[in-house]
Amino acid sequence: MDVLALRLNALDPEAAAALRVVTHFDALLESRAGLQSIVSAAAALAGCPARLADPPRRLVVRVLADGAAAGRDDEPDPAWLSAPVTTDATLWLERTDVPGPMEAMVLERAAAAARAVLGRTRARHPTTDPASIELVLDATASRDDRLTAASRLGLPAAVHAVALADGTARLMPAGAPDPVGARAGLGPAVAPVDLPGSYAAARLALRLTAEGTADDPGPRVVHADCLGALALLVRAADTVAEPIPDVGALDRAAVSAPWALATLEAFAGASSVRDASRALGVHHSTVQDRLGHAEAHLGWSIRDQAGRLRLQLALVLRRSLRRAE
Amino acid sequence: MAPTSVPTAPDTTGTPGTAAPPPPFDPECGAALAAVGELVSPSMLPEQIPAVRAATATFGVEMPDFLETDFDVQTRSAPGPAGAPEISLLIALPRAATTTAPVIYWIHSGGMVMGDNRTGLAEVLGYARDLHAAVVSVEYRLAPEHPHPAPVEDCYEGLRWTVEHAGELGVSPDRVLVAGVSAGGGLAAAVALLARDRGGPALAGQMLLCPMLDDRNDTVSSQQMAGLGVWDRTSNDTGWRALLGDARGGPDVSPYAAPARASDLSGLPPAFVDVGSAETFRDEDVAYATAIWQAGGVAELHVWPGGFHGYPLLAPHAQVSRATVAARRDWLRRLLAP
Repeated sequence: MDVLALRLNALDPEAAAALRVVTHFDALLESRAGLQSIVSAAAALAGCPARLADPPRRLVVRVLADGAAAGRDDEPDPAWLSAPVTTDATLWLERTDVPGPMEAMVLERAAAAARAVLGRTRARHPTTDPASIELVLDATASRDDRLTAASRLGLPAAVHAVALADGTARLMPAGAPDPVGARAGLGPAVAPVDLPGSYAAARLALRLTAEGTADDPGPRVVHADCLGALALLVRAADTVAEPIPDVGALDRAAVSAPWALATLEAFAGASSVRDASRALGVHHSTVQDRLGHAEAHLGWSIRDQAGRLRLQLALVLRRSLRRAE
Repeated sequence: MAPTSVPTAPDTTGTPGTAAPPPPFDPECGAALAAVGELVSPSMLPEQIPAVRAATATFGVEMPDFLETDFDVQTRSAPGPAGAPEISLLIALPRAATTTAPVIYWIHSGGMVMGDNRTGLAEVLGYARDLHAAVVSVEYRLAPEHPHPAPVEDCYEGLRWTVEHAGELGVSPDRVLVAGVSAGGGLAAAVALLARDRGGPALAGQMLLCPMLDDRNDTVSSQQMAGLGVWDRTSNDTGWRALLGDARGGPDVSPYAAPARASDLSGLPPAFVDVGSAETFRDEDVAYATAIWQAGGVAELHVWPGGFHGYPLLAPHAQVSRATVAARRDWLRRLLAP
């Protein structure tokens, strides 16, 4: 320590200070220091408390000029010096005077460093921390444990639980595009603390997905939000011990011809025979013939509204029961 | 019958050129060090002593704003060693003391060649304020103008005067500890040895903060940190050569100059030793605490990961610096508890 100030006085103080600020934050990033260290460095260099807040993620890091952590979640003073870190996160220097070049540079470099850390940690968490994902979805875990896991994962304010066909789970920010490729049931977008409920809904939705092939026609992704009363129907069917006659009838139709299930699925989801034939890529008269063939095995007409609804319900129940096996 | 095993200190002597890479700096400390970059040279050569003295004359000597309000500050002169000039003592007596105050006898840093009795005083005044302790800071003569034994004898004489004048100062002669950082830590350890061997004064403790103890300058840590951080083995060689001349590293160095040379560390007051893992002094400081234990003594040792020499001053906001300072304060509180 005896030589720390060596030649300090000889240098241009302003240029030296700027260089020190830049080098300081670069070195922190290089050694993979965390947010606490970055906010602490900002406070120390600016000589006032510094605060980073990311409200959707319930993240507040506040450090005094001497390095003491002093978390507070009161409203920031609009007069403080501030810089955006991400769309949600902001960094403040808790002082209201007109910033000198030193403070402005501290704020700018610290915000950039915090942005890099957030990008690094958030890109990593959702894919590499299965234990935290499991915990945040676990209805039997305590609320505190789930909230801790949620903050470790850096979850946004609204998030979907996603149940995948391989039995694993994922989390998806609200508004993100549907998963591509995987067969997935999506729970409703909820606050992180409510994720166990979203996951239960996601697993039910997963039971209504299909491979999307001729043997297993149907949607690969199902949103629990769109199920409405169908969710009630599936849960009710789960309590019935005996085989459901309409599902048995569908099974018989399915084995009667290789095209039967795909044709029924297309017709149930289309507004007309012509639409169904377009979706299937066959002539509409062929579809008419196939529907007649299928009706013979089903035992009810599917050309009127009531019959088509019955077919739709039977298809849903068949998928849900198959997944439950 | 199992053979009797004799405890030996870990071998900390390195062979030049074979040391493994150094431990990484603590991220926060390392960033602060990087930020001063070229301004701090790890290595000081003898011919650079005057320039470094001039450049650092104002470093670390700022007095805290509570000095005048919380302390009665005096400057007193103590007789020097035989034939030597008087010794100036900066004395801060706590105004809030309700009982006779304990004394922290402070020996400043500066590699034996620089600094004055205000260097680093702010930190120890902070501890003294919390603990209602007095601080006496000694202005000892510096090498190379005044080689060994001038610095350590000045420190010892100043201590003797302080204890003899305890009644006049209103402090407790039974609760005096020596404390110092870097070269001051080495001198504090040496004063504790002198006090033991000359039959007084009795000391309550010795606080050795990253102390400079071993003139041989050949430990693994001294080699790992060559050219890195603050006060590397080149600087260390400069400091020891200033103090000991060509005797440095030789067979005849006194333990009162380099306490690591002491063969008997029994009968010493409780020691506090701290050091960073990324500094020249790491191995000699760990070895000193170890030798105290092996002699049946009391020592508390803290090795702070990634700390370079003097990191609590350069990066006071770093978490490891705060933990370091908290441990120092906590030890003083326990030692001086009435």
